[in-house]
Amino acid sequence: MFGMPSEMGPTGLDPSMGLLAGYLLGVLGGLNLLALGLGFITLPVFFILLYAVEQVSLAISNATGWFPAKLVLYMFRGLRRSPLRTSLTYIALFVLTLVLSMIYSVLVFIGRVTTEKEADFKAITTHKTIIPSQMPRAHYEQFKRELAKLPDGMRPKNGEADLMAWSFFLGTTDPISKRPDSNVFAFCIEPRKILTMMDGLDDLTGKEKADLDAAVAEMERDKQAIVMSKMRMKKMNLQVGQTIKVTGLNYTDLVFDLRIIGELPDGKYDNISFINSAYLFSQLDAWKLNNPKNRTSEPHPMDAKCINLIWVRLPNKEAFERLAAAVNDTGNFSNPQIKLETASSGFGTFLEAFKDILFGMKYLMAPAMVAIMCLVIANAISIGVRERRTEMAVLKVLGFQPRHVLFLVVGEAVLVGLMAGFMSTLIAFKMIGNLKLQIAFFGAFFVPGEVLLYGPMLGAFVAVAGSIAPALNAKNVKVAEVFSKVA
Amino acid sequence: MARALVQVRDLVKSFTRGTERIDVLQKLTLDVGQAEFLALMGPSGSGKTTLLNLIAGLDQPTSGKISVGENVISEMSESELARWRTRHVGFIFQFYYLLPVLTAYENVELPLLLLALTKEQRRKQVTTALDLVGLADRMDHRPGQLSGGQQQRVGIARAMVTDPELIVADEPTGDLDTKSADEILKLMEILRAQLGKTIIMVTHDPKAASRAQRILHLEKGQLVLDTAAGV
Ligand SMILES: Nc1ncnc2c1ncn2[C@@H]1O[C@H](COP(=O)(O)OP(=O)(O)OP(=O)(O)O)[C@@H](O)[C@H]1O
Ligand SMILES: [Mg+2]
Repeated sequence: MFGMPSEMGPTGLDPSMGLLAGYLLGVLGGLNLLALGLGFITLPVFFILLYAVEQVSLAISNATGWFPAKLVLYMFRGLRRSPLRTSLTYIALFVLTLVLSMIYSVLVFIGRVTTEKEADFKAITTHKTIIPSQMPRAHYEQFKRELAKLPDGMRPKNGEADLMAWSFFLGTTDPISKRPDSNVFAFCIEPRKILTMMDGLDDLTGKEKADLDAAVAEMERDKQAIVMSKMRMKKMNLQVGQTIKVTGLNYTDLVFDLRIIGELPDGKYDNISFINSAYLFSQLDAWKLNNPKNRTSEPHPMDAKCINLIWVRLPNKEAFERLAAAVNDTGNFSNPQIKLETASSGFGTFLEAFKDILFGMKYLMAPAMVAIMCLVIANAISIGVRERRTEMAVLKVLGFQPRHVLFLVVGEAVLVGLMAGFMSTLIAFKMIGNLKLQIAFFGAFFVPGEVLLYGPMLGAFVAVAGSIAPALNAKNVKVAEVFSKVA
Repeated sequence: MARALVQVRDLVKSFTRGTERIDVLQKLTLDVGQAEFLALMGPSGSGKTTLLNLIAGLDQPTSGKISVGENVISEMSESELARWRTRHVGFIFQFYYLLPVLTAYENVELPLLLLALTKEQRRKQVTTALDLVGLADRMDHRPGQLSGGQQQRVGIARAMVTDPELIVADEPTGDLDTKSADEILKLMEILRAQLGKTIIMVTHDPKAASRAQRILHLEKGQLVLDTAAGV
């Protein structure tokens, strides 16, 4: 889902940054412990499942007498023989698959957030160098003119509806002590654009959609209307219908008299409010004309800096390139110079800070965990093989082929791996995925459905990798040696 | 003596331990007849188990030739040997070596799984074998729930369930009390007399050996004494 690039608000007040950093650290630190705990808790379920699958393979082998079904049955019997070792193997694989499927989910999530949607891609105009970006209103007007100059097929398909300017406003209802609880952070925009340009709000249905439509209409009618997120209203103990006086923090000396006319559904733009940008602009103009402190009629210090971002939805890459050239042209935009980026490259900059963590998760932590787990499995299985050397030899005496022995040993590990992977990813999917953790503007965190497939596959893979060496050892047991020494 | 089922010719088996070479069997020649009960005796380390393993196709000789029935097993590959063993030779071990996770029935059924049999055919063969050793009422017991003598009887049932012509036993009574041992030996006689099995049994116990038709002594890699005994 597209959201906001880095240039998004007064410095130090970017809530997404802290949330994401905390989230990633939480993943790395807490998830292992959580997974360990879940592994223990789910042990009985695992054994019940093991027993159930054993009964199924028993029924199949009884009904068909099918040889592989018999072998699978023996694997289950072998697993039940040493419950402690089986439990430990299960927990190890459970932790591994759970943590890795979460890491995978985070990477997919971030990938989806940053990946371009070719058909509907947004370009973002910002100040060329300064973060947070600040531009004069005139730039927006100039930008519209440049858009109009684009050839047919490159202009935004829906005209004005595909274009919007953002102004970030931070104010407080408590200008004396300025407690963070009293802060109001708002996007000042053209109200109609909420319905067309805002991810997560452009696809509402039913009552939520009707409410938002009504709120937008009201915002257009009454410039002093404000729509707040449910969460923020609850925190500030406010109700729809109340009026509030908000004193600007980044817009010093501006005081907004606002009437709360609607709320944003939970899970969408939590802690954010929307105000009609016309109100911000008229307040800036009023300041210039009427402010008693301002005898020289100087514009407000923020007057030439009140546009933070310009978004436009473009039909294709060519349009983007053409527009970028126009934007870069100092003949069009000089004071300040601006640049044009795609939404995802904006994210790229934003995620730069986490590149190391992401890189570490993907290329260091995940492979290291897989390697460690392979060793853990190899150890557990080789102990089991050593204990059962004579049994393997007896099977061979009876005429079982080396590959049957290999199959038995690897199979036991794979059964545990599959089940651990299945259980852990099911829990990840059902529990963690359903929490719908809100990551700032990025939308709700989700666990992609494919982990239900990848988890068991990973469990099985690690089981095979870990058990292959002891299994080869068992396969190569020399019967004559086993018996000439024992008997 | 009936036509020889097992023919061993100039059999040499050497092991190398580090740089040291041990010649366990030295140019050993032996015939065992069809439906003969042979006892192999000899001091510890004389190579009895080694010889038995070679005849049963568990190991390959250094040189020499072994044939059992039509098959020259000294020339077979490892997987050919495995396939051959299932059909043609049954094993009885001193320590039974039943799989502890399987019931008596499942233990006996194990070698049959490798043959192309229907479930019904397998069931018939397993119950026949368990009937013969007198354990039909214990087929759902695990080895841990059976006495040593009973476990060895399951072992015998497992050895004969595929109806092999040769049965080899390495000290089958070595771990049993006199009464249980006697039951086992009686079963072996039944296998020979009623089912026409050829039996080669290694034992340290002269009383057990005396139940065989012939006793061979192995000493320093050679057969030194060939006594006609028992029947
Ligand atoms: N796989 C092997 N590698 C090296 N030496 C071996 C091996 N198998 C047997 N030997 C050696 O061969 C000799 C004969 O061993 P074998 O087990 O056949 O004796 P045995 O007559 O069965 O003795 P026991 O009565 O104690 O069972 C011994 O010296 C033994 O150490
Ligand atoms: Mg021996």
